[in-house]
Amino acid sequence: MSSPQPDDLAIQVENATMQFGKEGSSLFVNALLETSLTVKKGEFLCLIGPSGCGKSTLMNLMGGLLTATSGSVDVMGQAINGPMPDKIAFVFQENSLFPWNTIAENIDVGLKFRGVEKAERARRTKESLASVGLSEFADHYPRQLSGGMRQRAALARALSLETDIILMDEPFGALDEQTRMIMGEDLSHLMARTGKTIIFVTHSLGEAVYLADRVAIFSARPGRIKRIIDVNESHPRLPSFVTSEKFVNLRNELYRELHDEMAKATPHSNKIATVSADGAQLSSEDELA
Amino acid sequence: MSRSSLLDKLLVLLTWVVCLLLIYWAWREATGEGGVSITLLPAPDAVFKELGHILSTGAFIEPWEVTFYECVMAFSWAASVGLALGYVISRSTYLVQVFEPLLASLFTVPMVLFFPLCVLYFGLGPNSKIVFGFSVAFFPIVLAAISGFASVESGFVQAARSMGATRWQMFHLVLVPAAFPVVLSGLRMGAVLTFLSVLGSETLGSLEGLGHAIHNASMDMNPAEMYAYIIIVIVIAALLNLSLGVIEAIGNRRYGVTEGE
Amino acid sequence: MPIQNIASAAIPNTPLARGHAVPWSERLRSPAAARLYVIAALLILWEIFARFIVDPLFSAPPSQVFGNMGALLARPGVVEALMLTLGELAAAFVLAILIGLVIGLAVGSTRFSKRAFFPVLMMLYGIPQVTILPILILTFGIGPMSKIVFGVTHGMFPVIIATVASMNNLKPIFRTSAWAMGASRWQTFRYVLLPHMVPGFFTGLRLAMSGVLIGVLLGELYASSKGIGHFTQMFSDNFDQVNLLGIVLIVAAIAMVFNAIVRRVELYFSRWRA
Repeated sequence: MSSPQPDDLAIQVENATMQFGKEGSSLFVNALLETSLTVKKGEFLCLIGPSGCGKSTLMNLMGGLLTATSGSVDVMGQAINGPMPDKIAFVFQENSLFPWNTIAENIDVGLKFRGVEKAERARRTKESLASVGLSEFADHYPRQLSGGMRQRAALARALSLETDIILMDEPFGALDEQTRMIMGEDLSHLMARTGKTIIFVTHSLGEAVYLADRVAIFSARPGRIKRIIDVNESHPRLPSFVTSEKFVNLRNELYRELHDEMAKATPHSNKIATVSADGAQLSSEDELA
Repeated sequence: MSRSSLLDKLLVLLTWVVCLLLIYWAWREATGEGGVSITLLPAPDAVFKELGHILSTGAFIEPWEVTFYECVMAFSWAASVGLALGYVISRSTYLVQVFEPLLASLFTVPMVLFFPLCVLYFGLGPNSKIVFGFSVAFFPIVLAAISGFASVESGFVQAARSMGATRWQMFHLVLVPAAFPVVLSGLRMGAVLTFLSVLGSETLGSLEGLGHAIHNASMDMNPAEMYAYIIIVIVIAALLNLSLGVIEAIGNRRYGVTEGE
Repeated sequence: MPIQNIASAAIPNTPLARGHAVPWSERLRSPAAARLYVIAALLILWEIFARFIVDPLFSAPPSQVFGNMGALLARPGVVEALMLTLGELAAAFVLAILIGLVIGLAVGSTRFSKRAFFPVLMMLYGIPQVTILPILILTFGIGPMSKIVFGVTHGMFPVIIATVASMNNLKPIFRTSAWAMGASRWQTFRYVLLPHMVPGFFTGLRLAMSGVLIGVLLGELYASSKGIGHFTQMFSDNFDQVNLLGIVLIVAAIAMVFNAIVRRVELYFSRWRA
């Protein structure tokens, strides 16, 4: 990778450390340790790693929902402290649509927070709903939609804010595999169309390879980025990409990288891991040596 | 964290103490010279003296025994009839659809309206209180029994059936534990309502019991005695609530249900 | 209070609700029809008991009770008594809501005030209020005022509890989400906390209505000069079963209608909930 120009940078994280609780207390958690990362404009970056490895923490730092214990986070060349709703929109894993508002109202209220004029709000609501294929459901309440549709609506809300960056924290985590695949394809099309910068936390290896331009792999706690894998494949990616040799190789590589991290994060599963993942175990031992 | 929560607790405690002192001070001031008429609010000392008298002479025991007897009888009837009927209804979706809305809307009728009828039919003695207490406590219990037994997860029943449970096993090993928390909270509500309605009916029309004692003291223009009995009733109510809470917690733990679920 | 929520478990999908394409035989067997049979059976049983079994001094058959309703309402003072009682109910309900809302908002607004005062309020709520009824009568007399006050003390606690609870059980993700979209404090209150509180608040209102009914009617029956309590007292002193049952049934019907109205309002305002 050629070193990027400052103008090309969307987010720059430098030596960020995040600790919760006081050092020495039983509640102390070293969630993220001296992590540096740059995200280029128009890039799709996936964060993947064992549970509790700090990937969500890093995402919340980048979004300004958390403030780093030490180190810095710059968004578009500007140091961050607190959310930047004009630059960054979120899609959360948990259903964050307000249940008392219809889908259209949910989008409208977000734009109200941004101080957008009424006519413009109506236009953007309509457009963003159309772009995720939910125009017909504008007047439904969230509870009337399936989980997948709710996450589409949440994505529409994020799109309506017209930010350059969208942070997505396991947005499809609660969905079934088939719905995830469709959502992933749509998201890749969206990438090709809009050129937004997307940072995406996931547990799914396939999802990471399918969507990302780069995949950042986290080590177990204390969290830090262990390795970054490039996926050189242009958006929109087609379903056939999943069966290609390139996809399978990348996914296997990811699996190897993650496997011993998972084992570290869940100590009691070590034994089973050694038996069931022979090949992977060998190569990771090579790496350790 | 632990230090700040300790501070928090101390502050809360302090607020309570200050509130209590304020109330006591206001009470004394209000009953002092030029204050509220003594028939409305007697001085705290007079009330506590009367309370000591009632407790030491055991004057409260007789009315308490009557009230207790009425409560036990009313609750036993409400619980046994309510649970049995609720269980029977819950066994058929059709019966649930017929009776549940009926019972639920009857539950919204203020039963106190029918108390004069109770007195006419059953006299001023304990029987009218028992019938009235029953008519109030019955509804939450039967409704809880219906909802508890009718909404047992079908997965539990299927699992038990697949393992060859007999009817009796199905009842006492699956249905009862599964319905337990809902039924128990219905019983708890029923117990509280029994106490309240027995007290209320004793106040409205009775010859004995704690409610009657309060009413009587107010008729006799003996406010100190009235307030003393009110304090006794409040303490009993608090003890009742406390013990019901403990019983519910123990019961729920017995069936592995944690708080708030 | 999960028990009272059971009242909401009406069954929308009975054949009757689906319209007129249902054959009569099926309609006659629908739960709604069966409910009517149950009510009819109870009325017939009552009629038989009152006519042939129980001493007429102690009971009156429903045919007489309902037939007498017109005469009952024509009695001087009865309609006025009903209106007075309705007025007491309305005044107590409104006051209970206002007072409960103010106290609830004050107590629920900070963590400290909630921890310090909420347990105290719950303790007060646990006191058998009927014990203070004689005091209220002594203080406010046997007119409408004592009933209104007693209705308020019964009705305000559910409002307080509902307000405090609904202020505090907002899922954090909604606050975070609003924050991430740049909502101001006021906007977060106006567009997030407030709409979230509405259904819980209306549930509180429904419970408040039950409380107000109990408080006002208990006060009426204890001592009344012009309200319905005056008439129930008079009728039962005269063993006038027909009129006593008549007036009791009228008030019971009014209570059911009031409860049903509040319930409807509650359902309307919580329609976005599952």
